[in-house]
Formats: sequence, C-alpha cells, structure tokens
Amino acid sequence: MALATEQAGFKQIAVEDFRITEEPYYLPISDEVELFETAYRERVPVLLKGPTGAGKTRFVEYMSWRLHNRDGRGHEEGVPLITVACHEDLTASDLVGRYLLEGDETRWIDGPIARAVKNGAICYLDEIVEARKDTTVLIHPLTDYRRLLPLEKRGELLEAADGFLLVMSYNPGYQSALKDLKHSTRQRFIAIEFDYPPREQEAQIIAKESGVDPAIANDLAKLAEKVRNLKEHGLGEGVSTRLLVYAGKLIHDGISPRRACQVSIVWALTDDLEVQRSIEEVVSSIFE
Amino acid sequence: MSRATDLSLRYATELKGYGASLPDDFLAAANALEPRLPGAELDAWAQAGIDLAASSLRAWEAAAEYFRASPGVVERLGAEGMRDWSRIAAELSQRSSLMAAAFLKSTPEVLQSIRPGDLEAWSQQGDRLCRGNWKSIALSSLYFQVSPSLLHNVSLEALGRIVDIVDSLTERSYELATTCLETAPSIFASLPVPDREPFLRFARAVARASWADIRLYFERGPKLIEGIAPPERARYLDLAARVTAEVGRQGFPLFSDAAQALGTMPLELHARLLSFAERLSVGSPIASMEYLKSAPFVSSRLNEAQMAKWAEAGSNILNEEHNPEGAEAYFRLESARAEDMLALLSARVELSNVNQLLRMYAQALSGEPVAVQSAEALVDRNIGWVTESGATTEGNAIYLPPYVATFEEQDANFQVYKVFTTHQTGRMEFGSFVYEFGRDGAHAPGTAGRRELQVEEDRVNRAAETGVPMKEYVAPVTAMQRFFNMFEDRSLILGLFTIAEDTRIDAQTGREYGGIRRWLRVLQEHEANHRPPVELMGLRQAYMENLLRSSLGAPETMRWPQSLNEYLRRGIAALKVVELEGATVQDSAEVAQAIYDIAVAIPNVPESYADGKFDAVSEDMYQIAPGMPGEGEGAPNNMPGGEEMEFENPPQPEFRGDFKPELVQLMSKLKAQKDGSDDGPTAPLTKEQLMELLQNSAEISLGEWSEGDLDASLGAFLENIEQEAAKPAGDQKQSDQADGGDTPDGGKGDGGESDLKPEIDWFYYDEWDFRASDYRPRWTRVGERFSEQGDGEFYQETLRKYHGLVMETRRQFELMRPESFKKIKRLEDGDELDLDLAIEFHVDKKAGVGPQARIYNRRNKVERDVAVAFLLDMSASTDEEIEKQRQKYDTNDQDDFDGDPRKYFQWLAARRAKNAIEPPKRIIDLEKESTVLIVEALEAIGDSYGIFGFSGYGRDNVEFHVIKNLDEQMSETIHKRIDKIEPIRSTRMGPAIRHTIHKLDEFDAKVKILILVSDGRPQDHGYGRDRTEKEYAVHDTKQALLEAKRKGITPFLITVDKEGHDYLKQMCDDIGYEVVDDLETLPRRLPTLYRHLASE
Ligand SMILES: Nc1ncnc2c1ncn2[C@@H]1O[C@H](COP(=O)(O)OP(=O)(O)OP(=O)(O)O)[C@@H](O)[C@H]1O
Ligand SMILES: [Mg+2]
Repeated sequence: MALATEQAGFKQIAVEDFRITEEPYYLPISDEVELFETAYRERVPVLLKGPTGAGKTRFVEYMSWRLHNRDGRGHEEGVPLITVACHEDLTASDLVGRYLLEGDETRWIDGPIARAVKNGAICYLDEIVEARKDTTVLIHPLTDYRRLLPLEKRGELLEAADGFLLVMSYNPGYQSALKDLKHSTRQRFIAIEFDYPPREQEAQIIAKESGVDPAIANDLAKLAEKVRNLKEHGLGEGVSTRLLVYAGKLIHDGISPRRACQVSIVWALTDDLEVQRSIEEVVSSIFE
Repeated sequence: MSRATDLSLRYATELKGYGASLPDDFLAAANALEPRLPGAELDAWAQAGIDLAASSLRAWEAAAEYFRASPGVVERLGAEGMRDWSRIAAELSQRSSLMAAAFLKSTPEVLQSIRPGDLEAWSQQGDRLCRGNWKSIALSSLYFQVSPSLLHNVSLEALGRIVDIVDSLTERSYELATTCLETAPSIFASLPVPDREPFLRFARAVARASWADIRLYFERGPKLIEGIAPPERARYLDLAARVTAEVGRQGFPLFSDAAQALGTMPLELHARLLSFAERLSVGSPIASMEYLKSAPFVSSRLNEAQMAKWAEAGSNILNEEHNPEGAEAYFRLESARAEDMLALLSARVELSNVNQLLRMYAQALSGEPVAVQSAEALVDRNIGWVTESGATTEGNAIYLPPYVATFEEQDANFQVYKVFTTHQTGRMEFGSFVYEFGRDGAHAPGTAGRRELQVEEDRVNRAAETGVPMKEYVAPVTAMQRFFNMFEDRSLILGLFTIAEDTRIDAQTGREYGGIRRWLRVLQEHEANHRPPVELMGLRQAYMENLLRSSLGAPETMRWPQSLNEYLRRGIAALKVVELEGATVQDSAEVAQAIYDIAVAIPNVPESYADGKFDAVSEDMYQIAPGMPGEGEGAPNNMPGGEEMEFENPPQPEFRGDFKPELVQLMSKLKAQKDGSDDGPTAPLTKEQLMELLQNSAEISLGEWSEGDLDASLGAFLENIEQEAAKPAGDQKQSDQADGGDTPDGGKGDGGESDLKPEIDWFYYDEWDFRASDYRPRWTRVGERFSEQGDGEFYQETLRKYHGLVMETRRQFELMRPESFKKIKRLEDGDELDLDLAIEFHVDKKAGVGPQARIYNRRNKVERDVAVAFLLDMSASTDEEIEKQRQKYDTNDQDDFDGDPRKYFQWLAARRAKNAIEPPKRIIDLEKESTVLIVEALEAIGDSYGIFGFSGYGRDNVEFHVIKNLDEQMSETIHKRIDKIEPIRSTRMGPAIRHTIHKLDEFDAKVKILILVSDGRPQDHGYGRDRTEKEYAVHDTKQALLEAKRKGITPFLITVDKEGHDYLKQMCDDIGYEVVDDLETLPRRLPTLYRHLASE
C-alpha cells in the first residue's frame, strides 16, 4: 500500500509507513551492531547513551534498515522507524493519542507510540531526558515482559506487535540533577555507549560523508581530538562528528579550511571569546 | 713728617678709644693712600673713618675694615669714588655696623667683577635684605660676604635675582634663606654658564610656589639637570618653571622625576620630547611632566614612531576631548586607554596578556591540564632551572619568557610564543619524558642493555688493573639516570640527547601541525642566523654545533674541516633517523648513544690545531639519508692532537628551551611515590640515591652551588624538589583567575605561609577615575579568603529569637514557587480542559456562532534559575551601636519626655538595665541576623546564593571574606562563618562589587542578583583625591554597579544610613536602592525586598 502522497515538491508519508530503503552509511566503531541485533532478537529495549552528534540517530536508522533487510522482507513489511523528538512540553497524550473534536463528533487519534506498537516498529525516543517525568513513566509497561501500552482515555490496552522495540537516546553531557532519568526507567534498558570515534575512524566518516579528501579529513579528526581536550576546561561539550562533517562539506565546496573551521566549529561551539581564540589557534596550527 | 703720620698722630687717641687696633690700621692705610690722594681728600677720607668709628658702639669694626680695605680700592675708585664708597658705608652703618663691615671688607674683591659705578646698586641689593632685626642683619652681611665669589660667576643683575629669592624665603624661614645664600656660590660655580640663568628662573618659581623645596633644589638641581642634553636644559627649566607656577607644590617633585626620566633617555631625543611636552603644557602642565616621566617606560615598549603615535593619542584627550585629567592619567599610565594603546602599538607581546590563551592552546594539544607560567616563576622555585628568558617544561607546566620582542610585528611575536608553546607541549604530547631503559625504538633497536653490561665489565677490569676500588653501587632512581650513568661524559651525552630529542619533536610537530610549520621554519632560520661562531669553538664543540645547525634545517651554515667530513656525515645521518615518522624517545636515546661514540673521540682542540680550517661543507652534505652508523665503522681515528679547550654544549635555540629529562623523570617518580601510584618496585627512594642523582646530573650546573657547602645546598635543593612533587598535578590557580588573573608579577600573595593562616587568592581590578573618564588599570587588589569560623550557636540563637518571623518569611518564600508555573489559556490542545470554555463552546455551537475549539489550558513550567550574591559591608563603622546612631538623628529626643525629668530618668534606667542584660546591638549584629533570616528563606525557595563580606584598607588590600560561595551547600561551617562577620576597616565598594560580579559571572544562572548591604558611603584610604573628597568613591561604585548591569546582573543597594539619600541618588541613578529607616526592621525588610527583586 503506497500511502505516500506526492504533492507539489514534497512528499508526505504517514509515520508508520516510513521505511529506510537505502542503506544509510554507518561505520561500526565497536560491537554496537551485534549488541543491537541481539537486543532486537530478544526484544530488550535499548538506551543509546552519548554526546550530541556522535551517530546515535544514524545508528538507529542503519539498524532499522539492516534488520528489515536481513529478515529478507520487502520494504513494505520491513521494520519501520518512528522517531519522536522529546521536549519538555511533551505530554502523555502527545505520545499515546487523544480525542479531537471534529464538528459534532470526537475522534481518536493515535500518538506515535501507539502507532509503533500497532505496527511493530522501532520507536526511537530521541533525547528522552527532555521529556517530563510523568511522560516517561508511561512507557514502563511497554518495556517489561508485558509489552503493553495502556490507552487510559479509551480504557484499552494495546499489546505490542511482534516487531516493536523501544529505543531511547540520552546525552549524559548536560545532565543536571533535575534532568536525570529515574532509576526505574533506566533499569529497563540495556545501554550502548556512544562516544566520538577514534581519529582514523572519524576521519573515514568525515571523508565519506563530506567528500573531502582523506588528508583534510584526517586533519579535521585531529582537530576534533585536540578540541575535545578542552572539554570541562572552557568548553561544555567537545566538537561533534556532525560539525566536522559540516566543516568537511564547506571545505569540499571550496571554502578555505581555516574559515570553514571557524564557522562550523569555533563559532558553533562557544561564545566565549578567549576560548574561541584558543581553538582558532589550534586550527591555525593544524591547517596551513 | 708725612701727612699720614701727622693725621695718625692727630687721631690716635680718639681711634684708640674706639678700638685698640684702629690706630695701627689707620696708619697703615694712611701711608698707603698718601701718595694717591690729594691732601684734602686724604683728610676727608680720614674724617669719614673717624665718623664711621664713632657712629655706634660696635662701629669700630666697620672702621677697621674701612681702613684695611681702603688701600685695595683706592686705585679703582679714585678720589671721588672713595667719597661715594665711604658715604655708602656710613649709610649702611647707620642700619648695622656689621653689615657695613661686611660691605667694606668685600669691596676690593667685588670690584674685580663690577664697575665702581655699580657699587651703589650692589650695596642696595644687600641693604634690601636688612630689616633691622639681627637675623636680617646677619643675612645681609652674608650677602656681602658671598658676593665676591658669586659675582665671579653671575652678573650683578643675576645676583639681584638671587637676592629676590632669598628675600622671599625670609618671610618663611631665615634659616632656609641663609642656607641658600651660603650654598649659592658653590652651586653657581659648578653650573655651566648657559645653565645659570635658567637655573635661577626655575629657582624663583620654586621659591614662589613651594619655598620649602628650594633647599632640595639647590642641593640636587644641578645634578638632576646634568642628565639633560645641554642645549635643552634651559628649555626644560623654563618648562618646569611654567608648570610650577601653575601647579604649585607639585612642581618640584614633577621637575625632579621628569628630569631623572629624561636623563635615562638618549640625548638626541630630548629636543623632540621637550617640544611635545611644551605643547602639552599649554593645556595641562601636569600632563606635560607626566609625559616626560613615562617616556623611559614607553620607549621600552615602543619604537620612536610608535611612541609618537601613543603620545598623540594622549594629546587628543587633552585637546579634542578637553579632558586634562584624562590626559594626565593617560600619561601617568594610570589609564586603561593608555595601556590599551600601548598594547596596540607595541610589537612586543607580554606573557600576561596571552597566558590564558596559550594555556588553553597547550591543554588542547597535550590533553593535560597544563599551566602556563612565566619562566621566572620556575627559576624562583630553585629546582634546577636557571634560565629566565627561555621556554621549558618540568612535565606539568609550560614556562615561557615574560615577553617576546624578537620581531617587529606583534603577530610575529605572538607566533613565537606559539612555537615555544607547541614545542614544549610536544615534549609532553610526543613523550620526551617516557624513556624506558633499553627498549627498542621504532627505527633503532635498543642497545642500552648490552652497553650497560660492557660498561660494567670495563669498570670491573679497570678497578682490577689500577687497584683503585670501585665506587659503591647506588641503584639509579630513573631510567634516564640509568641511561646517563653509562657515559663517562654526562654533559656530552645530555647535549646529544637534547639535540636528538629536540630534532625529533620539531619533526613530529611539523608533521602533525601543518599550520605551525611555517613559523617553526621562520624561527629555525632566525636561530640559525644567530648562532655563535664555530670558528671560536673547539673541534668537538664545533661538531655538536654543526649537528645542531643541521637539525635547524640550515646545513649551509655548517663549518667543518673537509678532512673530517666523514664523521660529520655519520652524525647527521644518525640524527636524521629521529626525523622519520613514528620515531620515539627510544630512537633519540639510541641516536644519541651512536653519535656519542663518534663525538667522544673527537678532541676539543682549537681550529688552529685542526687539520684544515672550518670550511663551509660541500653541498652533498645537505642531503644525507637517515641511517645509524654501521657496526664496522668504529670510532674515529687520525684525530689532530694538541691541547684541548674546555668543552661546553652549544647553547640551546630559544624556541627549544631548557631540556632536563632526568629531573623531570625524578619529579614524576617522586610524585608517583607520594600518590602511591608508582607501579615499580615499592621500596622508597633513599636519600643516598637521590643525592647521587643530583650530584651527578649534568642538568644542574655546578655554578649554582657554593663550593664548600655542596652537601647542604644539594640537601636544600632536594627538599625543594620533594616539595614540588608533593603538589597536586596541574596546580594552576594563578592562571585560572579570570580577568583579575593577569597579575603583573603572576604572584600569589602568601603561598608560602603556614597552614594556619587562611589561604588568600589575589585578584586585580581596574578602578574608575571619573575625572579622567577612564579606568586605572589593575588599580586594586582584592584578597579573597574564607571567613574564619566563630560559634555556631549564634545562628541557632537568632532562629529562636526570630522564630515567628522565620516561619512567616519561609511561608512567603514557599509561596513564590507556584508563581513559576505560567498558565496559558485558550489553546486548541493542552493538558487540561477548561470547563468554562468548554461550556461556552457548546453554547456557541448550539447557537451556531463560530465554534472554535479553544478550550484547553496548558501549564508551562518555568524553572526558577536564580543566583543571588549578598555583599555585606564589614567596615569599622558597622561597629556603631544602633542606639547611638538613632540619637545622632533624633535630636528631638527630649520632647518625648515632655520636659518631665522623671520620665527621662525612667528611660535612662531602663536603658541601662537593658544594656546590662544584653550588650547594645550594633549595626553589624543586625547584618548578621538579617543574614540568618535570608538564609532560611532562601533555603526554602532553593535559589542559589552566596554571602560575602568586604572591608580592608587601601587599594592593595581589599579584603573579601567568603561566608558562603554560590555553589557551596549550607552547613554548620557556614553557620559558624556567619558568626565571624565583624567590623574591620574601610569600605572600598568598587573592587568588592567587581569581585562579586566576577563570581556571579562564573556562575550559571538565568537571573542574577547582587545585593549590597551597607551602613554608609564608600570610603577608603586613597579612594579619592584626598581625605575629604567623596566624589571619586561614589563614581567608582556607581561604575561598578553599571558593570554589573552590563553583565546582566541586577544590582540592588540597601543602606541603613539615613543620610544616604543624597549620595545614593547620584550613585544609583537607575539602580534600585533602599534606605532602611528603622534599623531594627532590617531583618524583616531584607527577605521582603529579595522577594520583590527575584520575582520581577
Ligand atoms: N559511526 C558513524 N558512521 C557514520 N556516520 C557517523 C557516525 N558517527 C557519526 N556520524 C556522522 O555524524 C552525524 C551526526 O550523527 P547523529 O545525528 O546520528 O548524532 P546523534 O548522536 O543522534 O546526535 P544528537 O544526540 O545530537 O541527536 C551523522 O549525520 C553522520 O554524518
Ligand atoms: Mg540524534
């Protein structure tokens, strides 16, 4: 069933019909692929921990593609991926569903979790700590042996379809006492740690993603390593792979390396002039 | 009988009656005059003498002088002149015979300098000084006495001016006037002729403006102006005179300082400097002198053209902004603008300005929390490093020279710093200090193990041969030491290891950091062009020097005898091995060993002995392939013989700096042992082992130890090293301070004091000079320390006493919490249904009017994210009792008693009784109590807060007491600290506010508030032009408050000073403040105020 409706210039797809049809580029850093596959087989929920731009989202996409491909099913039947970006105003009904008034009638609309549960999708809750605590509790029955989603307002229970798996991501970097996961939530997941890849691998990713030549990619990865040394000594967060890819793209398109690093790394990272200046000095030491 | 004898006989008795010697004097004079004066004239002369003698009791002395001087003057004066002369004498004698005598006595000599016709004028100048009293008589007599010698050097007219000066001094002090006159002859004798008049002109100005300085001027003036270019002295003195005429007392000190400064400047610049000063003096006399005073300092930073630009900027403040005070501050260098301009123009880069930047840079490169400090600091620690001007590292921190001025451009000099830093960081990053004994390198297999056995065997054999027992074996402490132990000549192996390791680091750096390569090259070239001449070195030293030049990438600068080319070639080939990719410190050690075997066989003979001169090497030596010397090559032979010179390693290139791997390994070993993280054999190092290392190490130059007391100084040295090792890694408080951190000397106040004293961290802040409209840079020094601890009972006591109030404020504060949820109504979608709206909607719909389903509400959580800092005035005035304060204001107290004495006595008795039970309450007590209450309230609401007190004395010692830091948790300790809030000294508000701003700024919060609680206006020693001036302090405080606003901090002032309204209005402008009228309401008022402030 091709539900995608093609309109003037853009494509609209119902979430549950979203499949990743082309292999996303993902370079495994350690044993995360194997771990995830096993977890999926055993239907153990997964928590992806790690700093921003370290490849968590890309990994989930890759896994979603890989899983449905390996199962040898066609695209339509494969494992869909439903992603929810969590934020502090996210409520339970945003996730589960709600009644809407429509003229004289009310109509029930499924939320993304409900859809995922029904369709056996991987439901990826991005930045789960941002969501309010009462929202997080809602997923508890889904993540233990019961695999149930209560629809309170309808007085119903939804049992998860076979392919369903809950995956969350979490960045321990800016965790404050306020924004931490409850233990009862945390302890329902296995945690896969993500960190920025080692220099050679990161260089490989940058080269592949941005098309820049390997020597420059290597210098960018080297720069990243140096800048990350400043974490907690002036910088809150190290530079992400994502930013390096941006820099690589700019360089690839003809911007000078120093300038590209300035706009995509230095200025993106901090507003502190002194710190900016020292990163720029590192940049100018590495790039001619 | 001659007429003379005749006259003498006639007057003898009379004369004798005046004075015993007179007849003889008379006779002698008359005899001398007789041939020269006609009869009548001689009579008249005699008569005048008699009259003089008769004129008063002591006039005979004058008469005696008259007779004695006469023969000496008669020739010059002639008969008529003699008559005038005696007339003048007679007139003077009327006033004082003493004066007349002095006049008469000096006349013969004076007449050598002046014309007879000027006698009258000369005497009148002396007469002017005489006012009839004895002091004035003595002074004018002195005038006549010193006249002869003075007139040798100055004109009569100038003498007149000296008299003017002396005369004006007499109004103040005769003693001073006398001294001046006494010293005048020698001064004017010593002054070069052209300087005399200008010297006098300035003297007159000083006498008028600040008479007391005249003596100093006479004493030191001539010396002071000696340093000034002779043709410019007059201009300078006249400038000083004009300035002094305007500024009065300050004039002389300005003259003196500026003259001294000028004296240190090259003579050919004086004219230009003075011209500029003269231009300035029109608008501001002070600025012109300050300009001269600062010239030496400014010229140490700027070249001539830059200096001119710098001065021009200052002169614009004067002439375009019409701000003389600003210009004065500028030229006095007490101005942020002046410093900024200096920094902008100067090519020289100061470490203090870039140290923070370099620290982060080094940290990024090395991944270690390195500190960056001035090399001077390391030398001071006396742990083996002695060069203050180079770069180095001891493994934890990087040490750099205090400034760099190698090149003409600022950026280039900054790049020099960067290369320095990169090289030192490279030692950490690329592992210069991780040498392990005997391990293989990436390119050269490890041979140290084999060598060690060989060396040991040789030693045993030698002992057997010579019969001299072997030195007792002491186990080496570090791998580096064990390595160096294998070599006879430790200095040579250290030199070679240093060259190899530096070469490796440079190569690695170039490979890893493409961007720095260019500047590394520039510096290498610069160094290569500044090497000491090879020709003066011995052969072995020249060998080392050539290796070094090759490693600097400058083979064309090598100089070496053609016949010995092969050895140099082998050395260079070996050195190139460490330039290969992947080379480690192990390779460097292997390379150093290999070259050692060559070098040690080269005698250190002078060039003349060498077989052939030191020639430029052939070009095939420029491109040598890397390679270790082959086994078969063996040691050099056929070396020239002759007497050897003393060997010394060639000096280190600046950017590579000192390298002391043995000491660094020792320190990290000691450190590891202290931390218990040493994974080697656990036996502690013995003192014997350590002494052995230090005694042998080539890294400590022997010159540092006094010959006789080697053991004692080594012991002290060891102690220093051990202390150093005990410090935690990355101890870098100094460089971590924020804007206050760039201390001029990088010094921390009392690092070395005992543990009992509270540790003080010093911070420097600018101060606002409202007259100059400019900051005075780093003007104040704030010492932050934790408050001492008192009794915790005070806190509990206060809670008990104010129980009701505490409960009430807590409740009020708790109420603030829900305010932080904002309800947004009328949404199409939300968390809760609004019943009213829902009904309305249905009604509307039924009624068929525009049904819009906006019936949801949503609560948006607004997180409270407030940080507040309380800054309490701990000045001495807070010691004042409240009662007294009240009386000070309530003058109509008596009215309360309706004139009824009984009521008054009742009141008095009641008060006494009260005082007896509880001591009178002071302002500070109220501050303390209020603190307790606000703490309770804040704990209820959960805002972050800090409590600080301030006081101190003078700009160098602003005390900042931390009672609770913003991120500190409330605890019993803090209760105790609150008790120790006590009155200390002055109130320099500005720096205290600035330091609080600094603290708030470092803290992460959305809303930041600074509340200052004080009891009066800002006040401190030197916080204003003089003791009575209040403006300055008020302006500075206002400026500090504005700085707070600029940083997004809300400042608020609370004062209990009822007279506060006047200055607060000025100080606070649009900043909130409150005067708490009834002191005792402060504890109640503070929480209320906070509630308003923090919920806005
Ligand atoms: N292992 C990897 N293989 C391929 N690409 C990677 C990898 N790691 C990171 N990337 C690149 O980094 C980018 C950012 O990764 P991604 O968006 O997955 O980060 P994230 O961890 O989800 O970050 P955030 O926490 O901010 O959402 C990707 O678009 C991709 O280009
Ligand atoms: Mg993501």
